[in-house]
Amino acid sequence: MIHKLVNILLVEDDEVDVMNLKRAFKKNNIQNELFVAGNGVDALDMLRTAIVASPRIIILDLNMPKMNGIEFLEILRKDEKLKSISVFVMTTSNEDSDKIDAYNLNVAGYILKPLSFEKFITSVATLDNFWSLCEM
Amino acid sequence: MEGSNILIVDNCKTYIENAVKAFSETGIQSTLYFAENHIEAWSLLQGDQKLSPLPKIMLIDINAVGINGIDLISKIRLDSELKSILIFVISNINNNENKLAALNLNVAGYMHKPFGNEEIITLFSTLNNYWNNIEFSSKSK
Repeated sequence: MIHKLVNILLVEDDEVDVMNLKRAFKKNNIQNELFVAGNGVDALDMLRTAIVASPRIIILDLNMPKMNGIEFLEILRKDEKLKSISVFVMTTSNEDSDKIDAYNLNVAGYILKPLSFEKFITSVATLDNFWSLCEM
Repeated sequence: MEGSNILIVDNCKTYIENAVKAFSETGIQSTLYFAENHIEAWSLLQGDQKLSPLPKIMLIDINAVGINGIDLISKIRLDSELKSILIFVISNINNNENKLAALNLNVAGYMHKPFGNEEIITLFSTLNNYWNNIEFSSKSK
């Protein structure tokens, strides 16, 4: 489990995927507070108004309305107060162009959304184990 | 991760020996390259000994004596061919200024460097599991 003080912001418009992630967090006994924004615009607002206070990390979907994940990342990386936040992409997009764009904006990882809930649990466990090694 | 290169920038011989053993024991299938300092590292990235393919992952002890890690990462982030490399800082020296600088340069992880065998295996086993579960791009723009 990552340090209890770290807040996690999930930027995701699909309610089923939000639910899957919440359930997977529960199965992995991850107790960090999880915030949800349905698109990049709302996510930026939650970060800038410190609704999601530091320290924080972001799990980011790419295909969203109003502002997609790459657009959000571009703005995040240009914001002096937000640019250092670690971002983990979790998306259905297997397009190489999306991976290139995301890594060029220095995400810490790019994960394909698992197709089954069991794999969601495993995927979140992998993330959790990695986060437990990281100092933020 | 098979067929990919990992560049380790570190000059602690004991740690490097243990890391090599741990890589082998955890079954990491990437090819390891080593640089003792930022100059050697740059030579492997954009100099005479440029690696092909370029590493997708780097592990750097930014606080080790003789390694100007922050300068190196800054140069990498400014280079269009290198900027997307996943960089993990692994260090056991507390230097908050360097840590902040590294996080501002969007390192993928900032981790404590273990020395015990068990702890090193745990570290690389966890990293290997993580690397096997994330996607990498096949080329750079």
